Amino acid sequence: MHSRLRQPLFPTLLPVSLILVVSLILLGRQPARPETASSEIRFENHHFTPQSLTISAGQELVIKVVNASSETIEFESFKLNREKAVQPGETISVHLPALSPGSYDFYDDFHQDVPEGTIIAK
Amino acid sequence: MTRLSRISTVAAVALMSLGFAQLFPAQRTNPPSSAQLVGPSPVVATLSRACYDCHSNETRWPWYSHFAPLSWVIVNHVEKGRRELNFSEWNTYYPNAQRRKLRWMGRALSEEKMPPWYYRLAHPDARLSASDRILLQRWIAGTLAGDTSAQ
Repeated sequence: MHSRLRQPLFPTLLPVSLILVVSLILLGRQPARPETASSEIRFENHHFTPQSLTISAGQELVIKVVNASSETIEFESFKLNREKAVQPGETISVHLPALSPGSYDFYDDFHQDVPEGTIIAK
Repeated sequence: MTRLSRISTVAAVALMSLGFAQLFPAQRTNPPSSAQLVGPSPVVATLSRACYDCHSNETRWPWYSHFAPLSWVIVNHVEKGRRELNFSEWNTYYPNAQRRKLRWMGRALSEEKMPPWYYRLAHPDARLSASDRILLQRWIAGTLAGDTSAQ
C-alpha cells in the first residue's frame, strides 16, 4: 500500500520542491528592508538636546521631539521639508524617509534666537 | 411632533446657539507695523494683495469675520499665519530667519500651496498668476543670492 502511494507522489513533489527551493533562494537575495530607527530630540532651556544627532544614512527614522519647555515651539527643517508646532509638554513623532548622507539642519521657527541643530546622516 | 414643528425647533436651537456664540467675540487686531518688508513696489503690491491678510498686521477683515463661529476660525488662522511669517515684522527677523522664510516661500509658490485654495475661493483677487509667481520667485532668488537691487 505504501509503495503504491509513493510512486504517484514523487513526480508531483519534485516540481513543488524545486519551486520552493528557488523561491527561498530568491527571497534570500532580496535586499533587506531598511529598519526604522528612532531617536529623541528634547527642547529645554531654550535649546535642543542633542544639538547634533548622527544617524545612519539609508535608514528610515522616527524622531521624537519632546517639548519640555513652557512655550510652544515649531520644529522645522527646510531640507527635511518638515514643520510642526509642539505644545508645552507635548511629544511629537517626525517620520523621515531613508536619508542620503549629508547634513540636515533643524530649528525652532517660533524662536529665532534658539541655536540651530543638525542631523548628520552617515 | 409634526415635521414642520421639528424643523422649527431645530432652526430655533440653531439661532439661539448662534446668538449665544456672539457673546464670545474673537479679538481681531491689526497691531502697528514698524518693521515691514521693504522691497520693489510690484513685489510688495503682489504680496500685499495675495498674502498680507494672513501674513501681516494689515489684515483686511471681511464682514463675515465679525460673526462667531466663523470669526473664531478666521482669527485663529490669521494668528497662525502671522506666527509663521509676518511681513509687518520682517525687519525684526534675523538674516538667517529671513533666508529660511524666503526659501519656504519659494517652495510654497512652486508647489502652488499659497495662497490656500479656500482663501482663493473667498478672495479671487488674491490669486497669483503665472507672471506673479515668476516675479516673486525672481525676487526670492535675487534676495537669497544677496542681490541688493532685489530688496
